[in-house]
Amino acid sequence: MAQSVKPISSPVPDAWYPTLAVLMLAIGLVITASFFIYEATSSRKSRSLAKELTTGAVASVFLGFGSLFLLLSSGVYV
Amino acid sequence: MKPIRLDLSLLFLFGFFLCFSSVCSDLVISKLDRRIDLSSHIVRTTTSLKIENNGVDGVSEILLPFPEHQAKNLAFLSVMISEGKGKTKEFSDSLPVDVANPVGMPPALTWYSVTLPKELGKGRSLTLEVKAVFTHILRPFPEKITQADVQLVAFQDSAYYLSPYAVKVQSLTVKLPEPKVESYTKLEKTKFSGSEIKYGPYEDLPQFSYSPIVIHYVSNKPFAVAQELVREIEISHWGNVQVTENYNLVHAGAEIAGEFSRLDYQARPHVRGASAFRNLVANLPPRAHSIYYRDEIGNISTSNVWSDSAQTLLEIEPRYPMFGGWRTSFTIGYGLPLKDFLFWSEGKRYLDITFGCPMSDVVIENLTVKVVLPEGSKDISVSVPFPVKQSQETKISHLDMVGRPVIVLQKTNVVPEHNQYFQVYYRFSNLSLLREPLMLIFGFFLFFFACVVYTHADFTISKSSPSYLAKLQWDEVQTAIQQFESIINRCLTVHDKLEASLRDLSRNGDVQACKAARKAADSLLKELSKELKPLLSFLQSSPQAVQIMPKVEELVSKERELQEKLMLKYSTVVDSYEKKSSGRDIENRVAAVQQKITLLRQEVDDLLEVIDEI
Repeated sequence: MAQSVKPISSPVPDAWYPTLAVLMLAIGLVITASFFIYEATSSRKSRSLAKELTTGAVASVFLGFGSLFLLLSSGVYV
Repeated sequence: MKPIRLDLSLLFLFGFFLCFSSVCSDLVISKLDRRIDLSSHIVRTTTSLKIENNGVDGVSEILLPFPEHQAKNLAFLSVMISEGKGKTKEFSDSLPVDVANPVGMPPALTWYSVTLPKELGKGRSLTLEVKAVFTHILRPFPEKITQADVQLVAFQDSAYYLSPYAVKVQSLTVKLPEPKVESYTKLEKTKFSGSEIKYGPYEDLPQFSYSPIVIHYVSNKPFAVAQELVREIEISHWGNVQVTENYNLVHAGAEIAGEFSRLDYQARPHVRGASAFRNLVANLPPRAHSIYYRDEIGNISTSNVWSDSAQTLLEIEPRYPMFGGWRTSFTIGYGLPLKDFLFWSEGKRYLDITFGCPMSDVVIENLTVKVVLPEGSKDISVSVPFPVKQSQETKISHLDMVGRPVIVLQKTNVVPEHNQYFQVYYRFSNLSLLREPLMLIFGFFLFFFACVVYTHADFTISKSSPSYLAKLQWDEVQTAIQQFESIINRCLTVHDKLEASLRDLSRNGDVQACKAARKAADSLLKELSKELKPLLSFLQSSPQAVQIMPKVEELVSKERELQEKLMLKYSTVVDSYEKKSSGRDIENRVAAVQQKITLLRQEVDDLLEVIDEI
């Protein structure tokens, strides 16, 4: 029984949180910028909904994980 | 000073007991050694009893009585069987102890019955080690002192061990915090030496022997009592166990009378403030981090932390020295690494953490331990080594939807002996870990979606106004121009490809490949010019495009010219290769065309830029 007891740790090592937060937020913000550039420059007719939604989805994945790691690295353990 | 009056009721009780002297006579305590430790405000008694069975029947239960004033302040009781003597003493696990109501015994006593692991047969003996911890049993006397006085407390007990069994030999040792005694009850065979008072040995005493003693002594130890302590232990599977402790602390010793002089206290703290305590030390687990100490006003800066691999010591100093009767409330908090406290066993996760407060010698009157499990935990069960009141609630915290399950454990009269590990078992799926990031992702996605909706929506009120119509037309023109631009750009890439194939030709002389490239480029350019036609006719018909039209037309013509020249260059080069002309010769022949091409390309690029700006 004793050998079946094992400690549980976090899925991602704690020390990586700040790096991951900066990296993912940077990528997320770049994609967000490209999303808004596309929104602002393309005319209403030539805009493709699929492209907008994919860019938005990818940006939100990066921003979501980035902000999670930002919270974790700043000590707000959700 | 007036002499201390004894609790008269105890004397009555004593008389009362004599009437019951005939029961339980099978068992005899052959040797009894009792130690009472008065060195802090938590009174710890250790009794080692050697019990002999002189009866016929085997005995599996042993009764431990406590007088009422002790029983109501009894915080902790543990009984162990000890084997061996002196330093080689070995103790068994704690034996089960229950409150009992034996028939025919005086009801004024509170009885505990110890169940032995195996029956004590006839003529056999065993040694029990009984450890009892009492709180609030020391009475400050006098009850009010000034800042300069030392604190005197009175302790009362019996010189003889109160037992339903006859005791052959017994002795009592009382350990004091300081070798200063105001008074103590002198019986025969009483010895006071150093900071210890010894009573006994007394021989052959009957059941329920009682001889009250009172010890009145100096104790300047901190009488720190937490009237209320709420410990919140929050588990995050992202790698942290956060502990937050809310204290409501009072100095429960002799109350201070008269005024408090900070000047006197600062000048000679050990004389003018002997009864006060200045700081408390919390012994936190190793690798504790993000430690804070604050109260309602904010951070309290008078704290210190020392840490090594075995422990983290946190020394906290309240905002003012704690004199008798003074109270303070504060919060300490710290984070602990998850892997030290959370374990996995047989498909379940469990938290393994200490129950009581980390500070030494603090009595907690009402302790509430809240274990906040992550959202989505199921099958929760708790295992605590002593009885506690248990309930469950939910707590809404960061990024929660339904709230986190909280196990609430409540216990009164908690002493450091209760600082034992307890376990909370639960099931939790690792997929639930993704709940928080998915929520964040969904939130961001909603924002982007709102932006998409906003840019796609038409918020014009008057759909028939000329300006709106003009805007619509302009939008169309813009779209057409964008398409036109993209077609021209595609043409230009076709040109680039042709050029590249020519370069390849000059390198490897593969005329066939070059011809194939030409064929592909021709069909592509044809298609593109077909696509261009409707756009151009639309732009010509549209009034909004009047301004831009000349540029567009110029661009089209330039592009066509460029295309022609390129084709010319291309056929010349391929021809020369087929005739096996020298490289220099070819270069000379194309030079003029090449110049023209470069010029045209430059113009086309410029025009594209101009149109792009519109």
